[in-house]
Amino acid sequence: MLNDFFTILPKVLHLRSIIGYNSLVFALKKTPVIGKVIPDRLYKTTFLKVIYWISHIIKEVGALFIGKMCGISCVYLAAGLMAAAYKSADLIPDMSENGIFGMFALFFFILYALIGLLLNTKYFKKTTEKDYLVFMIRMDAKKLNNTLFAYELGKIFIGYYLVGPVAAVFGCPLWAWLVIPFLAVFMKLFGAGFLSCRYKNLNKKHKPLRNSYAGDVFKLVAVILLMPFLMVLFINGYYVPMPVIIALTVLFFVLGVCGFFVLKNTDATLHRKALHDGYVDEKASTAEARNQTRSFKKIKAEGSFKSDKKGFEYLNALFVKRHRKMLIMKPVAFTVIILALTAFAIYLFIACYYEDNGADACRNMVMNNLVNLFTFRGFSDPLVDLKESSFEFFRWCASFQLFALSVPIAMAENSFKCTQAMYINCDNSLMTFSFFKKREMIMKLFDIRFKQLIKINIPPAIVSSIAANLVLFATGGQEYPFQYLVTFIIASAFVVIYSMSWLALYYLFQPFTTTVTVKSGAYAAARTVFSIIMAIVMFIPAHSLIVMGVTVIFAFLFVLIMRKLVYKKATKTWRVKA
Amino acid sequence: MEFVISHLVKSYGSKQVLKDCDFVFEEGRIYGLLGRNGSGKTTFFNCINSDIDINSGEFYFREGKDAAGKIALQPEDIGYVVSTPTVPEFMTGREFLKFFIEVHEEITPDKTIDEYFDYMMIPEDDRDRILKDYSHGTKNKMQMLVNIIAKPKLMLLDEPLTSLDVIVAEEMKNVIRNQKEGHITIFSTHLLDVALDLCDEIVLLNHGKLEPIDKSNLGDADFKNKIIAALMDQEDA
Repeated sequence: MLNDFFTILPKVLHLRSIIGYNSLVFALKKTPVIGKVIPDRLYKTTFLKVIYWISHIIKEVGALFIGKMCGISCVYLAAGLMAAAYKSADLIPDMSENGIFGMFALFFFILYALIGLLLNTKYFKKTTEKDYLVFMIRMDAKKLNNTLFAYELGKIFIGYYLVGPVAAVFGCPLWAWLVIPFLAVFMKLFGAGFLSCRYKNLNKKHKPLRNSYAGDVFKLVAVILLMPFLMVLFINGYYVPMPVIIALTVLFFVLGVCGFFVLKNTDATLHRKALHDGYVDEKASTAEARNQTRSFKKIKAEGSFKSDKKGFEYLNALFVKRHRKMLIMKPVAFTVIILALTAFAIYLFIACYYEDNGADACRNMVMNNLVNLFTFRGFSDPLVDLKESSFEFFRWCASFQLFALSVPIAMAENSFKCTQAMYINCDNSLMTFSFFKKREMIMKLFDIRFKQLIKINIPPAIVSSIAANLVLFATGGQEYPFQYLVTFIIASAFVVIYSMSWLALYYLFQPFTTTVTVKSGAYAAARTVFSIIMAIVMFIPAHSLIVMGVTVIFAFLFVLIMRKLVYKKATKTWRVKA
Repeated sequence: MEFVISHLVKSYGSKQVLKDCDFVFEEGRIYGLLGRNGSGKTTFFNCINSDIDINSGEFYFREGKDAAGKIALQPEDIGYVVSTPTVPEFMTGREFLKFFIEVHEEITPDKTIDEYFDYMMIPEDDRDRILKDYSHGTKNKMQMLVNIIAKPKLMLLDEPLTSLDVIVAEEMKNVIRNQKEGHITIFSTHLLDVALDLCDEIVLLNHGKLEPIDKSNLGDADFKNKIIAALMDQEDA
């Protein structure tokens, strides 16, 4: 077994480095300006490969330190803070501070590991390297999965042990430092064994092992919803007793041993089959792109569509009609629900301020503390100061932080997906026809699409504005006439900016190949720069009238400039990538 | 009218795919562009269709033999049928034709939409189904049909018969033959038999150059062997 590990691991790391190096050269060759001077022989330059190999090793070690060590450091940090707080309040009189530290460290670690198991078990996941090694080089899938798993366990074990001494300096007891790395390994074994059992059962019923996106989202939401309750419990001095934590630890050690034997007895063909079923990881980009592309192809129609519209207006109307669910229904529904919930929560919170302390003290305390924790990164018990500061904070946000409206709008807007659908289902084919590439035709369709994107993206912006105005209303109403209207204008200007940016970038770079995956370095760079600018802007505080002036003028100029660029360049840039 | 290729060069990095190509294609004839896999047939078409930039050279239409008759190529002059049929899959066949005719304001259709469908032998029950659900052959016919409606001066057909069944392939060949008058048709293929069956002229794309094959030899028994020999690389030989 150890022999397999030392034979397979170097091959995997070598392949990983080759994939990484070739991808890097490929990306460089596709980058504007630089790409033209980079020769093909770079693919076989040994010197550069060695440099990349060294950087790859550093990256692997970096991943060990940053990923694993950050996680466990957070656990120790939270445990340390809780131990100090509990000791100062003397909530567990019969335990020393070190003991409380250890107890919380172990409990938080079990929670952390369980969340990890719930959201991220990679044992059977298909990656590019597994694809090559198993299906092309015909490596034994079981040996490969086990090698990668053992490598992962090794990294966790070492990483956790290295953090232990630091935690010990801050009061972590030796037993916790010694137990946690072993517990991590056994819990991982349990997770992988459980997955293996699940797959064996699925396989008996001839069902494939599939990654459920909806399931992942559900689990994530469940975890996020669980957190506030746990925080409330801890804030109120509740804790899980040590014997229960010890029992849980022992249970996971036993389950880990069971997991080990399940993995040992899992058939190699089952491993291969699980990989073949396409339990796709984000790294398996080709398979993922294929999956994504397929999701765009779910179009149905009963008979031909009759409309008074003609030419490109007709094309656009048809496109929207046949992609309604993909383009419109989902983002609108998503945004309305999320923002309505947000607005309701904010309203509830603000309403709490006007109640006396005794009216609903529990709810008041929970809401204030939670909000304060997220906004001011701290929590405390006295309510009066918090109420005042939070009240002021929200009023200030609704009046002076309206650049931040770009955040919900950016999250809800669907322009990128729209351009993907435009390309894969429409432009990709029509671009082979010469009429489609004539300047006046390009601009005609561009203008129609720009208006259409604004129509698609405006509902979330309106809902965001309503939420912001709700805060304004509940914290004292508008300060000057038409302040509510100003919020709507700012949100609309953001919609114009976002819609134009993604559409114009699509026309100027046409980043897609035969799939919907982005294959243009310049496009990705432009998107990144734009996102960074927007991320910086959102933190700038300014009076709402100034924000309105700036966003409206910017939106106007932005539309003019981008449209002009598309007019000049798109006949050359907007085409099928060869 | 003629379509003239003059000193056309196209490279990908250090690899030169088209090397100083020169050729004159005449109206009313079907040219079979023969070449091995990877010889640059699609690149040649993509250059002419302006899908990719060329390194140097030019191509234009010419009326008469003198330079004064040079006419620059406009996008609407080119019809391009690719081997993997690309049609907007969210539209039905009828919607696509309606849209296509409407955006081509300069065209006066000489048939109704259904007459066009009949001409291409597209079954009635397919006409109001979305193109995504069409078979490969019917998608190919749709592609060909819109190019027939647009009446471009130059028709580029990039292996349009690849993976069609024998019946559809024969139907398509007949359509191509019927459409050759008034057009310059360049038909790329790597199948020698198809080229011999359909084309009036054979042009080899070999080592990045366009080379005409003497058309008087088309009927010769050992014509195939000559072409195969011409297409073989020196190493192969």
